[in-house]
Amino acid sequence: MASWPAHPALLGTPTRRVDGPVKASGRAKYTYDLQRPGMLYGRILRSPHACARVLSIDLSAAERAPGVKFAMPVIDLANPEPLTHKVMYQGQEVAALAAETEEQGADAARLIKVEYEVLPHVATVEQAMRPEAPKVFPDGNVREANVDETGDVEAALKASAHVVEGLYWTQVVTHSCLETHGLVCEWSGDQLTAWSSTQAVHGMREGLARGLGIPQTSIRVISQYMGGGFGSKLGTDPQDVICAQLAKGAGRAVKLMLDRKEEQLSTGNRPSAYARVRAGVDADGKLTAFDAETWGTGGAGRGAGYPLPYNIYQIPVRRRRHKDVYINAGTQRAMRAPGHPQGAFITEVVLDELADQAGLDPLELRLRNLPAEAPDEMWRRYFPMGAEKIGWSRRHATGDPTPGPIKRGLGCAANRWAGAGSRRTQGQCEIFPDGGVTMRIGTQDIGTGTRTLVKMVTAETFGLPLDQVVVEIGDTQYPFAPGSGGSITVGSVTPTTRVTCEKALAALAEKIAPELGVDPAAIVASNGRVHAVNDPSRGMPWKDACKRLGTAPISVDGQWETGLSSVGTSGVQFADVEVDVETGITRVRKIVCVQDCGLIIDRLTAESQCYGGITMGIGYALFEDRILDRNTGQMVNPNMEFYLLPGPSDIPAIDVTLMDQPERGVVGLGEPPTISTAAAIANAVSNAIGARIRHLPITPANVLAALAEARARERRGASGSPQATEPGGVQGAPPINIGGAR
Amino acid sequence: MKSFAYVDAANEQEAIAALGTQRGRILPIAGGMDLVGLMKDYVAQPDRVVNVKRLDRTIAATPDGGLRIGAAATLIELVEHAGAARAYPALVQAAAEVGTPQIRHAGTVGGNVAQRPRCWYFRNEEFQCLKKGGPRCFAVDGENQLHAIFGDGPCHIVHASSLAVPILAYGGTFRVAGPSGERDVAAADFFQMPDENLMGENVLRPNELVTHVTLPPPGRVRSATCEIRFKQSHDWPLALATAILTMSGETVRGARIVMGAVAPVPWRAQAAEAALTGQAVTEATAGAAADAAVRDAKPMSGNAYKVQIARTAVKRAILKAAGLPTV
Amino acid sequence: MAPKDGFSVSRRDFFKTAGVGSLATGLLGPVELGAQAGVREVGPGAVPIQLTINGRRHDLTVEPRVTLLDAVRNRLDLTGVKRVCDRGACGACTMLLDGRTVYACSILAIEAQGRDIRTVESLAAAPALHPVEQAFCEHDGLMCGFCTPGLVMATTALLEKTPNPTADEARRALDGNICRCGTYVKVLEAALATKGGRRG
Repeated sequence: MASWPAHPALLGTPTRRVDGPVKASGRAKYTYDLQRPGMLYGRILRSPHACARVLSIDLSAAERAPGVKFAMPVIDLANPEPLTHKVMYQGQEVAALAAETEEQGADAARLIKVEYEVLPHVATVEQAMRPEAPKVFPDGNVREANVDETGDVEAALKASAHVVEGLYWTQVVTHSCLETHGLVCEWSGDQLTAWSSTQAVHGMREGLARGLGIPQTSIRVISQYMGGGFGSKLGTDPQDVICAQLAKGAGRAVKLMLDRKEEQLSTGNRPSAYARVRAGVDADGKLTAFDAETWGTGGAGRGAGYPLPYNIYQIPVRRRRHKDVYINAGTQRAMRAPGHPQGAFITEVVLDELADQAGLDPLELRLRNLPAEAPDEMWRRYFPMGAEKIGWSRRHATGDPTPGPIKRGLGCAANRWAGAGSRRTQGQCEIFPDGGVTMRIGTQDIGTGTRTLVKMVTAETFGLPLDQVVVEIGDTQYPFAPGSGGSITVGSVTPTTRVTCEKALAALAEKIAPELGVDPAAIVASNGRVHAVNDPSRGMPWKDACKRLGTAPISVDGQWETGLSSVGTSGVQFADVEVDVETGITRVRKIVCVQDCGLIIDRLTAESQCYGGITMGIGYALFEDRILDRNTGQMVNPNMEFYLLPGPSDIPAIDVTLMDQPERGVVGLGEPPTISTAAAIANAVSNAIGARIRHLPITPANVLAALAEARARERRGASGSPQATEPGGVQGAPPINIGGAR
Repeated sequence: MKSFAYVDAANEQEAIAALGTQRGRILPIAGGMDLVGLMKDYVAQPDRVVNVKRLDRTIAATPDGGLRIGAAATLIELVEHAGAARAYPALVQAAAEVGTPQIRHAGTVGGNVAQRPRCWYFRNEEFQCLKKGGPRCFAVDGENQLHAIFGDGPCHIVHASSLAVPILAYGGTFRVAGPSGERDVAAADFFQMPDENLMGENVLRPNELVTHVTLPPPGRVRSATCEIRFKQSHDWPLALATAILTMSGETVRGARIVMGAVAPVPWRAQAAEAALTGQAVTEATAGAAADAAVRDAKPMSGNAYKVQIARTAVKRAILKAAGLPTV
Repeated sequence: MAPKDGFSVSRRDFFKTAGVGSLATGLLGPVELGAQAGVREVGPGAVPIQLTINGRRHDLTVEPRVTLLDAVRNRLDLTGVKRVCDRGACGACTMLLDGRTVYACSILAIEAQGRDIRTVESLAAAPALHPVEQAFCEHDGLMCGFCTPGLVMATTALLEKTPNPTADEARRALDGNICRCGTYVKVLEAALATKGGRRG
């Protein structure tokens, strides 16, 4: 239980982010913007092939090209292990160089001669799962997980009043950070400074040290402003090590920012998820069983696991058989709530199908299957709130009966996330005799507002206005903080800041306690004064207190402690959509979001996380799709023109209700709001058109195929449980591909 | 982008003089909205680029009551031209939907008409497709969801120009200037199918430029363009259609219907025109005309859905032209 | 003003490579020669150009292929607007050219000569903020901030032309800009709430 702050001056208020002015005015210097004296530009040559063996790399022409200062192979053909000579996907690094200008670097990279033996590849999960498929790895393309089974699935399904069965799937999407991955490296002797667009300055230092074989003490990593990560910038990548090597080789600073195509190909993605599901309810609308055979691909070498059934609804009997499928494509990375959007989509769509089968309102079905209310499991409260806000009472049964091509529908879905802090987080606080305060913590602000939150907690603790404290983050010279992933940042840095500042305040209290005649433990700071907790008149102004320090500042280190933060969020979302059944185009009219995150530090940035997560969820639901050419394995939309991201006119009204739970303490919020958006939209579309949407993205092709299938079923007079829709089995739908059709 | 030399042509003569006869070696640049991307992707690798922005950009009525548009006019200048909007609404409606504000502010009428296809196999350097002198069209058994639903190949691009659709529908003419003088080419003859011209999309020779678009007097017609795109903020159309109706009372006496984004050229739908002629415009007759428009569609493996969308574009363009609600 | 990067080809080098004759023979071959008489060509090496940016004249030396965005960011260190898609699809590079928004990534620097170029740096001198920037901060119309200067420029251009836009006008004016963090709702709020966004 968080008892602090009892009477907050700042916490919970809508506070403008402190770096807003430098960002909005373009004065903030991101990694991409940095210029160092004598700086060169790095450029990587990448494999155009989905799978190939590199036979030779000839750098000579590139080395002689104008402006080139250093060139190096990335694939080491001297390595006796032949597997290391293989490129496993389009976009894998082959060679690199540094040149005086970007243009010279690009020219020279094209002069690098690489001989490839092009090898057979697999571009889709369907191809990869064929018995005769070329093997991505010697062990094959499929890694089967253990069967996870609770209860007797067959018996439970048999006993169910209603059963649905279907094939559901989601596409691969990319993080599409606006600032591409990249860094600036500069050596001074054996000391490396790397300015990096990263979600983890300390993690990057560790990774660079490992990659370069040098001690961490020789490396400083700085990330003051960074243009988005969403999970893709947590690790250390080949280009990071390459940039440092180029800088070393050239003896000059090197900037290496990936271009958009490289970003799309090689910096991660959210894996696809396929599921053949059978699920049942009993006559009371209680879920009975959930049986899922699942697979998906995280590209060339990483898994595609995701939670299924999504762990919110109570299902007594369940079975899960999962396979990771490897294909020759860039590998997946954590992406905003890894696994959850996929699991939520499939589960929530199955729930709506079951509700239809059982003749139950989908909301009612959910309410009947939720767990008992708990502090971090409050869906029972939130569903009715959201329903009220979206106007659920006017929801029609599946299939809008309104004449004309525009059909409207409503849908809903829930989310959950952990979002606890990391106990490894450390901080340092200094109080200066002139009244100045500096709080240092080696975290980074990835756009979530971390800098603002640290500053708010610091100022709150010392009872000072925001602009009287200095916060320093984004640098390995500051105490360790974990990478900003998993929504752990706020729960890591705010308790650490609080603990550290409290210690500093205690040290100040020690100094002035005798003068005040108060027990130091009873001294607090508020409203610009340091005073006895029960008697504000027994105190002095902050600046006067600090003067008592003489010449030596207070400097204390702190470490995360329990108290200010908690774990577990819950939320629900509702979607109101309209679908043009003559074009298959879906327009989202409104999203309602009810979300908790424990104690709200900054209401403004917390709400922004909801708007942002929902906006990304709309992209996932409707537009985004990494499309690989099924025949060559090369990406056809490695850009922002045909990799569709939502823009202003694609954004609906968004109604965010944040549930403040100060008694619980801080819980991370970065991820949960994006989890349920696509599921709610898919259910709303099905409700509008009277045909089931079972896969993402909800493109015109997807919608028109669903309508055509529903019409065909009507003509066949089919009744009872819907047939599993085989991808590619529907007239008008494209054959299955890793990135389906738009 | 490969490096290139640059000529800033002060006028048409200088521009023509600076162009050459070898395809792709010297390219004109106007707004740059198409060419700069092509060069960055190494699809275009000219040795010289010739600025043609200083060519005529005036938009003005012709003596006979038509409209003459200098090819260097930007799309926004066309959109904001009150006279054009009044007399040729289908053209201005199409222009207003092109790209984004930034694209309309820089992109020109000539550039829009002469832009290269957006086919992702054409635009990505890795694919040595037919249009780049390679052996095959990758769309045939590949990712063809945005490709043509009309035409027999061998290349299955859709024409990228939205303006081309109303220009063809209005019976427009392109003034083409080259070293041996100028010629007028009817829009119906300007765009070329891949079996006629695989490496280009129109009759322009490498040393020629479109300098003007001329539209005949509109006469007493009702016209409209309906564009259907997936992403509303910024996307290429999945289909668009222009309908120009000559009315006699409530009855259509003549119709010109052209579809865009469905074929390698703007695609005239004469069957739809015939179906509509003699009819009053209703949801039913517009729908029947739209059915006729797509009856001969030959979708590929993954783009049958576009047939439905093209049909809807035609139907709604007709309804919109007639002043009826479209949905 | 001398180029800052120090790598640009000197003026003397430029004259070595930029002559009409050297181009005609070097690149085009004899077939083209007949058509080349009187053609005034520069490049492909670096050439001197003059840009008027934020009311100030800048002399720099760039190859004709260098985009306005790269010239301004890499050569003049005006890094406010960003390079994101680099293909005219995201708006992070939005500048104003004669008062209209353009994608600076898709315009050659050499082609922007003689135009009134405005970057986000023109809006206010530090530490002051332009009313649009102020509104973005007040409404939290930014998160990572990488798209923000481009959106600020698009909003500024909108308000200079249409001081009291409708929500729909604002959306349409900003449709050429992509934000991945998802700030649109707040950006539109800011655009509609900006007071005194109009310059002058």
